[in-house]
Amino acid sequence: MYPRDMMQSDCVVIMGSNMAECHPVAFRWPLRARVNGAKLIHVDPRFTRTSANCDIHAPIRAGSDIAFLGGLINHVLSSDRWNADPFFQSFVSTYTNASTIVSPEFKDTEDLDGVFSGLEQHAEDPDWPFGGLTGEYDPASWQYAGTAVQTTGQQTAYTARAGQTKQNQGPQTATPKHGAAPGIPMDAGTTAAPAKWDLLVRSLLKPTPRTDPSMQDPHCVLQILKRHFARYTPELVEQVTGCPRTKFLTVAETVLKNSGADRTTSFAYAVAWTQHTDGVQMISCCALLQLLLGNMGRPGGGIMALRGHAAIQGSTDVPTLYHSIHGYMSAPSALKKHDTLHDYIATETVPTGYWANLPKFLVSYLKSMYGDAARPENDWGYDWHPKIFGDFSHMAMMAAMAEGKVKGMLCIGQNPATSLNGSAQRAAMRKLDWLVVKDNWLTETAMQWKNAPEIDDGSVKVEDIKTEIFFFPATQIGEYEGSYTNTQRMLQWHFKAADPPGDCRTDTWFYYQLGQRLKAKYANSTLKRDEGWKHLVWDYEPDFTSGEAPNATGEADALKLLREINGFQTADPTKQLSGFGELKDDGSTTCASWIYCGVFPAWSNNLSARREPDPPETPGAELHWGWAWPANRRVMYNRASADPAGKPWSERKRWIWWDRAVQNPPDPTTGKAQPPGRWVGYDVPDFALTKAPTARAKPGGIGLDAHTGAEPFIMKPDGKGWLFVPSGLVDGPLPVHYEPAESPVHNQLYKQQSSPMFKWWARGKSYNLIAPVGDPRYPCVITTYRLTEHYLSGAMSRWLPYLAELQPELFIEIGRDLAQERGIANLDFVTITSPRHKIRARALVTNRIGAMTIGGKKVHHVGMPWHWGWQGLSVGDVANDLTSWVGDPNVSIHEGKAFVCNVEKA
Amino acid sequence: MQPNLPSTFFTEAPHFRWLIILYFFVGGISGGALLLAGLVRLFGRPEDRPFVRLASYLALVGAVISAVLLIVDLGVPLRFWHMVVQNNTGRLMFKGWSPMSVGVWGLLAFSVFALLAALGALAEHDPSPWRPFRFLVEAPIAAVVAIGGIITGLFLAGYTGVLLAVTNRPIWADSSWLGLVFLLSAISTSVAALLLLARWRRVEGPGTVAWLLGFDRIALVLELLAIIIFLVSLGGAIRALLNGWGVLLILGVIVLGILIPLLIHRGRALHSVALSATLVLIGGFLLRMVVLLSSEGIRVVGAQVIR
Amino acid sequence: MGTRALPILTQNPIPPARTAQPSASAPAGGGLTEPMGFFTDTTVCIGCKACEVACKEWNQLPARGDGGANLQMSGQSYDNTLRLSGDTWRHVKFIEQFPQPYEGRWLMMSDVCKHCVQAPCLEVCPTGAIIRTEFDTVVIQSDTCNGCRDCISACPFGVIDLNHVSGTAQKCTLCYDRISVGLEPACSKACPTDSIQFGPIAELRQRAADRVVQLREQGEKGAYLYGADPQGPLGGLNAFFLLVDEPEVYGLPREPKMPTRNLFRGSLWSTIGAIAMAVIGAVTLRARRMQDVTRTNSHEGE
Ligand SMILES: Nc1nc2c(c(=O)[nH]1)N[C@H]1C(S)=C(S)[C@@H](COP(=O)(O)OP(=O)(O)OC[C@H]3O[C@@H](n4cnc5c(=O)[nH]c(N)nc54)[C@H](O)[C@@H]3O)O[C@H]1N2
Ligand SMILES: Nc1nc2c(c(=O)[nH]1)N[C@H]1C(S)=C(S)[C@@H](COP(=O)(O)OP(=O)(O)OC[C@H]3O[C@@H](n4cnc5c(=O)[nH]c(N)nc54)[C@H](O)[C@@H]3O)O[C@H]1N2
Ligand code: SF4
Ligand code: SF4
Ligand code: SF4
Ligand code: SF4
Ligand code: SF4
Ligand SMILES: [Mo]
Repeated sequence: MYPRDMMQSDCVVIMGSNMAECHPVAFRWPLRARVNGAKLIHVDPRFTRTSANCDIHAPIRAGSDIAFLGGLINHVLSSDRWNADPFFQSFVSTYTNASTIVSPEFKDTEDLDGVFSGLEQHAEDPDWPFGGLTGEYDPASWQYAGTAVQTTGQQTAYTARAGQTKQNQGPQTATPKHGAAPGIPMDAGTTAAPAKWDLLVRSLLKPTPRTDPSMQDPHCVLQILKRHFARYTPELVEQVTGCPRTKFLTVAETVLKNSGADRTTSFAYAVAWTQHTDGVQMISCCALLQLLLGNMGRPGGGIMALRGHAAIQGSTDVPTLYHSIHGYMSAPSALKKHDTLHDYIATETVPTGYWANLPKFLVSYLKSMYGDAARPENDWGYDWHPKIFGDFSHMAMMAAMAEGKVKGMLCIGQNPATSLNGSAQRAAMRKLDWLVVKDNWLTETAMQWKNAPEIDDGSVKVEDIKTEIFFFPATQIGEYEGSYTNTQRMLQWHFKAADPPGDCRTDTWFYYQLGQRLKAKYANSTLKRDEGWKHLVWDYEPDFTSGEAPNATGEADALKLLREINGFQTADPTKQLSGFGELKDDGSTTCASWIYCGVFPAWSNNLSARREPDPPETPGAELHWGWAWPANRRVMYNRASADPAGKPWSERKRWIWWDRAVQNPPDPTTGKAQPPGRWVGYDVPDFALTKAPTARAKPGGIGLDAHTGAEPFIMKPDGKGWLFVPSGLVDGPLPVHYEPAESPVHNQLYKQQSSPMFKWWARGKSYNLIAPVGDPRYPCVITTYRLTEHYLSGAMSRWLPYLAELQPELFIEIGRDLAQERGIANLDFVTITSPRHKIRARALVTNRIGAMTIGGKKVHHVGMPWHWGWQGLSVGDVANDLTSWVGDPNVSIHEGKAFVCNVEKA
Repeated sequence: MQPNLPSTFFTEAPHFRWLIILYFFVGGISGGALLLAGLVRLFGRPEDRPFVRLASYLALVGAVISAVLLIVDLGVPLRFWHMVVQNNTGRLMFKGWSPMSVGVWGLLAFSVFALLAALGALAEHDPSPWRPFRFLVEAPIAAVVAIGGIITGLFLAGYTGVLLAVTNRPIWADSSWLGLVFLLSAISTSVAALLLLARWRRVEGPGTVAWLLGFDRIALVLELLAIIIFLVSLGGAIRALLNGWGVLLILGVIVLGILIPLLIHRGRALHSVALSATLVLIGGFLLRMVVLLSSEGIRVVGAQVIR
Repeated sequence: MGTRALPILTQNPIPPARTAQPSASAPAGGGLTEPMGFFTDTTVCIGCKACEVACKEWNQLPARGDGGANLQMSGQSYDNTLRLSGDTWRHVKFIEQFPQPYEGRWLMMSDVCKHCVQAPCLEVCPTGAIIRTEFDTVVIQSDTCNGCRDCISACPFGVIDLNHVSGTAQKCTLCYDRISVGLEPACSKACPTDSIQFGPIAELRQRAADRVVQLREQGEKGAYLYGADPQGPLGGLNAFFLLVDEPEVYGLPREPKMPTRNLFRGSLWSTIGAIAMAVIGAVTLRARRMQDVTRTNSHEGE
């Protein structure tokens, strides 16, 4: 879903986000819904500016979300309404895998006291021992009965046997993290995978999974769910989360009441769900609940993932992620069977569902990399493409750096000296030979050699730092043109408003120039590994056909970049592609990022620059404002907004429906006439346009042919929403409540305390110690967060007078009773101690946060913003000196949201 | 949650501090002085003439000091004239309903009469370079000057309290009696000032002093009454004085500045005049200080009123 | 810049005290366009302070402290601005009402000059620096103001204060420079939730009344309008508010009044006192003259 769509919600649960403070402009939509009578709920350890604008605030302990969500799921599953209302029954039985039978080998956490079947020891790879995994699963036993969910089993077996990290597994692409769902060309009913790779793709087909439509089979997903979540009673929720039972039940009732055929509930989360050792499971737990409630693919329903940094969505689409290449395809990896192009396609392609088109995406991508040099005989240059051989995520790289395994670093648009586990990262960076910082300000990262805390306190001598640091002044967004992908996957073009001062250069200038210089250096290399550099296409010279004159000589042409991402006919770059339906796997199309294909159909027609709102009071998705991938579709899987027969579930929630009257042109490929009938509505349908609701799956069909007309989740092999996740998640097919890596209490559900495989880098290192469960030295639960007034590490706010004056000092929010216990008065300075570090801040004593009773034990909850550092107008200690290098096994995000500490009067 | 505070407590302090306190004090004295000069000239005896002259000089000096204090206190002193002439239209600037506007004109008029009175006084000396101004002390002009002095003097002595009342600040605007209090205190302080000056310049005709003392007694008694009425009229706003300022008001202003002087007067010992006069002056100063600063301290901070 | 000269719309400001109706307070010169102002719905304020920053940006007002540096947090919830002043013309208030942990509510309100229909500040200003514009808003002409600060003490809401750069009294101009060229004021433009709504007063009053009804229906029984009533104090406020608690809770006076309410009585008492003292003086002096004639000698001994 997207922010504006929240205006159509009847209930919004903001959980794992402080939306009003961190997404103030987007928050206007839920707020508007509330003005019109919708119920807003905020589930958060603190009463924040968001809570202040909600109807219900439910306080929970940081890191206990799955217990709360599990409670909601249990409440729904055991409620009369859910079991009686035909809407839920038909949505769940047809649109989800509730009725699918799971392999009898599967053992649930119920059977194994907190772990699933298939848990194994994890052995670090000797070449790159920075995976950090504390364990790993072989998901073979999680598969559907009698059939492995395509590609994944085989792949897992491969990496499992090889004993290597699953960080880079296909599943992530098979079920993209960010809900990526490519669209279907408006003009083609189905897309049979094309000839070239047809046989290979077909050879990957597996028998279709067995189902029990009555959903009674003990091994069917629904029954497994019921057993799995039976423990999550209101009593347990209260014990684990600290949220009063009555509060929890009001939330549960409100959510259930506002879900159904003519009401929808949406959830909004951000990094308070991701920054955990089981963060991905929190999100999938919510997805599970929303599927059960039929709140997926429908207006005002779904899960709003509030992305962070401006254009951070773009940075995962056209990725800065090490483990994927454009459009959420897996990065070629030495750890998987990716030796040849054939191997890669065989490993990564899901023959049923839209991902069957992967060969087209990949070949078009390789053409964008290597141009004419990419030919069928050299597998389109696949061998030249770099491969990953381990966990190269942020903290893994830092851990390697700390071991002297990394020589240099380009730090562009990041401030790691304070933004993550600061003191440890600064220590790691001091091991570098060289460090390039390209920024708008002399950030803490750029100045760490001069006045970092460890230098002020004398523990590190400036003269001992061998790192050579280069600073490049960067332009600001208003000083150049380019596109910008926001939290609703929408590309919006921004124009240059002012000239950059002095020697400031854009980041594209930097990369473009760096690329040119490196190419020159490799030009005469005879080494095989440098082939890629020699063939790399690297021409973004402005030809002044684009709007803006370049800032500086050697500036890259932004529109040329967009054209390469959008794609064009290889033979004639001026013929730009209008959608990924046009992509071919024979090299005739060039396209860097298939999901962005269609944003720039012609040089004169940059759809991301559109600014046409819908006429007021008309239902619609603002389709002429910017351009959202895939295919300018705003609500994904929106086929689910109509019932299996294609009729809207209700008048109120009408969005996409089947209009049998519409006449269709003859099939462009085959040229034969097509029967009437089309998917129509307010949005771009996320379904084969002319595929009737009654259409059957073609036996032995690949791609979308394998799906019926009533299977909305076209990216999934079985076209269904996954309540039970047989593949794609490394830490289990179902969410389980685990305690954070650091917790004052024992897990009250199972013997297993924390995720059996969360990542713990630099284990045992003095700078990354983890407190044992219930360590009396660290009695308080602490979380970290943002303030509206500041931005992240503060480089973009603490330097600005008008913002610095609004929140001038670092503080920690503590409850009144803790303040009394410790004799702390409001504004007193206190020291906050974690097993890693000790920092100083002012106390802001308030009843907006306080003590909770967890498992009968009184636990004080505290929290602090982490925006401060020693550079800028408003300065303060670095909150991230307290945090640790532990993270989620799926996506390697650090657990910045829940750890333990002690608070004393300074 | 705020207690149900008087509405005046939610306003911002105008930063009327020491310069204004001083102006109120000096202005009061000079106003009173010209009043006395006028009265005594009209109704006194020849032997009072030295005193009249003294009072006239005091009035003029006071007027000058007052003007300086007011101008220096402005945020943009060089724009003092904006109060008399509109800077952007050149028209005269007068607002009958704005005590500050009226006050400026009042001070102007007062200064004129103080000047005339002083010139006249100078001309009375023999010999004197000021002889040409002799006519100012001869009937009928003398009477005009005296009456003008009496009226403007009384105005200057009294309007400052009204100015404070015509605001929305705590204490000041919570009563309409401040004008009277200031007026009476201005008179008592001017008498006190003149008694001291007279003693110093050796111009104390015994009769004059006796009358002054008597007049002073009346002023002090009335002032005491006025202050009591004022405090009562404050109603709920009195809470602004339930602190150090209140104590200072009672001990400093009432006891020290009014009651003790009254006691001293009873034993009409002349030697104690200096003492009582000094106390009256101190009391008068403290009165203005308490009234201004106690109110100045009250302001809204965040969503709370603090003192 | 805040110290921008504004066209003179009136020779001698008509004392609003005598002009209940905005139209009547129309500048003698230019005619009055439709009265414009703000309706601030505090129930949808998220305390983001965008309005506060937008105001400073547009009016180029200085940050507090030395350029925003070396400031201390206030400890009063998230409010570190604390008050309207000469260099802060918008101020977002934060009111925490939490009897026990997690149980309570957090009120937020963006405060500003009320542009009173009968403006106390305008009434007392001795230089005529404060004027009423054709939009029925109240503006201080910085080139006329000489910093006497009478208006500061007259404003019932503590809105005005000296700007330490210009030395003159300053406050919200209701973005006179923007609205006179058809732009929306910077603060309301920046408000992401439409907590601040700008428009013709009549229209805003209607919208506000409807919103109160809606809130009451939704269970917010305490909802009411502050300053929307033209028959109310100061002839109504052209920047009025929707509140859900007592005015004092938001730091607002329950009954804002005109300063001149004390003018007549104050002057009367003083005049009476003055006449009395003059008469007493005259009488006692005359009495003394009489005595002289008879009892001159009896005094000799003393
Ligand atoms: N003003 C401002 N806006 C921003 C940013 C900024 O720095 N400043 N940063 C941007 C970026 S990069 C991002 S990623 C987003 C982040 O957006 P958010 O995730 O909304 O921001 P946070 O403040 O990190 O965390 C939100 C809330 O999570 C609560 N919380 C902490 N732990 C838990 C938990 O375990 N469970 C639950 N349910 N809640 C918990 C905290 O109390 C906090 O109120 O914001 C973006 N927007
Ligand atoms: N404890 C704790 N730690 C956290 C979090 C948390 O919630 N708790 N949140 C995490 C999250 S979600 C995030 S996103 C990270 C953010 O962490 P960082 O990204 O390291 O922090 P930023 O301050 O956003 O750094 C961005 C830098 O880019 C610069 N910059 C801005 N525009 C440009 C540009 O156009 N070009 C260039 N070259 N530079 C530019 C800015 O000046 C700034 O120095 O922090 C993470 N750290
Ligand atoms: S800062 Fe930008 S992205 Fe963030 S809320 Fe404001 S407008 Fe939206
Ligand atoms: S609120 Fe104060 S400053 Fe604004 S118009 Fe009214 S009296 Fe004048
Ligand atoms: S300070 Fe300026 S605006 Fe205020 S009353 Fe004095 S002259 Fe008028
Ligand atoms: S109207 Fe203009 S001057 Fe007034 S507060 Fe808003 S932005 Fe500031
Ligand atoms: S901008 Fe709007 S929402 Fe934000 S603080 Fe100001 S009034 Fe409130
Ligand atoms: Mo982020």
